[in-house]
Amino acid sequence: MNTTRLIATRLIAIVLLIIVVGLPMAAGTYWVGLVTQIFIFGLLALAVDLLLGHAGLFSLCHAAFFAVAAYTTSILQVRYGVSTQWAVPAGLLAGTSLGLLFGLSVRTRGVYFILVTMAMGYIIWGVGYRWSAFTGGDSGITNVPAPMVSGFQISTAEQFYYVVLAVLLVVLALYQKLVRSPFGLVLRGIKSGEPRMRSLGFNPARHLYVAFVISAFMASLAGVLYVYHNRFINPVAASLHVNMEAVLMAIVGGSGTLLGPFIGAALVLGLRNWVSSFFEFHLAVMGLVFIAVVIWAPGGVIGLLRRYSSGKEK
Amino acid sequence: MDSFILQTLNGISYAALLFLLASGFTLTFGLMRIVNMAHGAYYLIGGYVGLTVAKATGNFALALLAGGVTATLLGYLADKFLIKRAGENHLAQVLITVGLAYVVGDVALKIWGGDALKLPIPIVMRGVVELPGGIVYPVFRFFLMSVGVAVALLLWIMYRKTQIGAAIRAGVDDREMVGATGIHVDRLFLIVSGLASFLAGFSGVLGGAFLTVYPGAEWEILVFALVVVIIGGLGSLGGAMIGALIVGLLDAYGRWLLPEMSYFVLFGPMAILLLFRPRGLFGAENMT
Amino acid sequence: MNQFALSLQSVVKMFGGVRAVDGVSLQVAPGERRVVIGPNGAGKTSLFHCISGVIRPTSGVIQCFGEDITQLSEPQRTQKGVGRTFQISSVFAELTVLENVALAVLGIRQQKWGMWSAVNQLKGLREKAAEQLALVGLPGKEEVMVKSLSYGERRQLELVLALVNGPKLLLLDEPCAGLSPSERQRLFSIIKNLPRSITMLMIEHDMDIALALADRVTVLHRGEMILEGSAQEVRQNPQVREVYFGQV
Repeated sequence: MNTTRLIATRLIAIVLLIIVVGLPMAAGTYWVGLVTQIFIFGLLALAVDLLLGHAGLFSLCHAAFFAVAAYTTSILQVRYGVSTQWAVPAGLLAGTSLGLLFGLSVRTRGVYFILVTMAMGYIIWGVGYRWSAFTGGDSGITNVPAPMVSGFQISTAEQFYYVVLAVLLVVLALYQKLVRSPFGLVLRGIKSGEPRMRSLGFNPARHLYVAFVISAFMASLAGVLYVYHNRFINPVAASLHVNMEAVLMAIVGGSGTLLGPFIGAALVLGLRNWVSSFFEFHLAVMGLVFIAVVIWAPGGVIGLLRRYSSGKEK
Repeated sequence: MDSFILQTLNGISYAALLFLLASGFTLTFGLMRIVNMAHGAYYLIGGYVGLTVAKATGNFALALLAGGVTATLLGYLADKFLIKRAGENHLAQVLITVGLAYVVGDVALKIWGGDALKLPIPIVMRGVVELPGGIVYPVFRFFLMSVGVAVALLLWIMYRKTQIGAAIRAGVDDREMVGATGIHVDRLFLIVSGLASFLAGFSGVLGGAFLTVYPGAEWEILVFALVVVIIGGLGSLGGAMIGALIVGLLDAYGRWLLPEMSYFVLFGPMAILLLFRPRGLFGAENMT
Repeated sequence: MNQFALSLQSVVKMFGGVRAVDGVSLQVAPGERRVVIGPNGAGKTSLFHCISGVIRPTSGVIQCFGEDITQLSEPQRTQKGVGRTFQISSVFAELTVLENVALAVLGIRQQKWGMWSAVNQLKGLREKAAEQLALVGLPGKEEVMVKSLSYGERRQLELVLALVNGPKLLLLDEPCAGLSPSERQRLFSIIKNLPRSITMLMIEHDMDIALALADRVTVLHRGEMILEGSAQEVRQNPQVREVYFGQV
């Protein structure tokens, strides 16, 4: 039973890999752009899910790291002419540093954590809007140039796609190691029974803080990739809406899994693209999806697949 | 000095509005452990419906009632068909109520459009009051403050002096005990939830007159109401009152003195408070 | 000078106006089996909470092998060799048995920060787990999700979690509560056969178990220690009988 599933999983992974590597050669720019977006938002969703699916913390401020990294990188490139090779690390540093600060929220739990992170996320969004001299306010930062790596400019959608894919594969490999490591198990222990963890000798807040900062880094990475993909950033990127969408992606796809957030990203972005071609109210659609998932499929797509496959085994 | 008094009055006006919304949220959570992110949407729909009623009938009181009742209805349906499905799981509650809020927001957008609309206030309240020192301040805002104070007083009396209030306090303290006191738990939940929704819709009408009603208003005010609840402590009515004042005043002073950083002025102290006292000023220890 | 494994000096714990623990002093010798008995509400679990660090005493001193641990946090005390089981089963239901044991092992080790190698590859983990699980009667259950275990099996796992790191001081809070008589017997004999390198403090309601195990017995009533002595002395003491049987 276990071996069949293992083989099946490996096969699926290989097939998926072939598909994503071969995509730009088979499909047009629209699809390449869409899948790049799926990668980027999937990464953001994965960042959120590190805390949500493993540690049991529902953070509503991750869009802030995403946006701060994006703004930092783009402002450096656009306004100060800083090259990509410095703008990118600077963006990552900015977002992660904010994570170091906001990570103090792990002193709270449950509802309080949700509310505190929600409020913190709003600070950044508010600053994005109000501090228009610096952030460009409503209009944001435009005309972000194509990224330049060692003298080579990544100017086509296909090239950028492969850059994002490469980054993603590295991240996934590291993430997988992290969740299977003792650190990952400790997070799941905290989610399953925090008081017991204390009696076993753990100091949960420390692990949660480190996990928070790691996830802030991941969100920052997504933000940097996003701003080069979009060539534009505005305060909407820091909004609650973006954060909730990332959560939705993680849950729809399957929280606590490696590919769940990406499956979710594909479904949510795909759905939105499809719906908006004939119906402007995509927020309502997203709202209905939230409701539907909570009521009928809390384990997301992967949860449904597991239920189906274990049902078959009987 | 004049500016200071002006801003203080602004802060208190906003505090009144925030209290109306926050009190419902904090009691709903305190008693039923339900996180209802759709409270902002109740505010929004109350405001829009109140607007339509006010424009059609010219009767502000009727608008207030209509807004409150609409929200109560929506809240009742939401509780019965949606929130119930989420059970005790806070994550599920947040998702399902956010989903509801998104739907309501889009429906409102479709019906009332994207512009910021101002609710017409009764003629008698359209003027200004002259205060000692030559400061003029809109009558309506004093009305808003008095409504806030009146509701706060009524809620306080109900909370402290009536049987229902005692049951709520007992329930906030220890949910299992409520059933033991002989009070119908379901009915109690219904009353509290209904009251919370009504206040949300009611405050939406007031907010519509004070600030205008527009797409996105439901989230802006929800966040502020949540900060009130965080600072005041989940489940504490008194905390909601004090929290509302703190938030209202900090917001007003922040906008006046540091307009670009006004969010910092507000959320900064909140964050610092939470570092040292995660459960807020008056929150109980067992709230999560 | 001989150190006590555990020494409590006038420990008081107040909750609001209630004195849950009212000036308890006791000394437990290394290797001793001390049983704490007393009717409901006597403060036994509160006392345990004070010793293991779940709560800080309002006043008084707690020493473990000569070291003052009164102000140490719960995780810190575990690092010092205090192990504990809980009255209400607190194993990790959403994880497998092996993961539960792994967490217990990691709790006092720096490897809990490891982010690279998989837990499955931790050196010696599987062997240690297999050994401990066999000891308590749960052989071969490593990959089972704890939520599929019976209550009795969870109690056994609970004991493993407390024992796996070889604690110096073991606190058992009604380890056999809720078990069937045969499960009770089995768990009890495991506890009885633990090495004397582990000092044991146990809360127990069942007089027979208490008396079969204890070197000495401490009787609590309303937060105070009313008697301390050998099992026989306690059994025959009229005050104890009144406290237990007078209270109906």
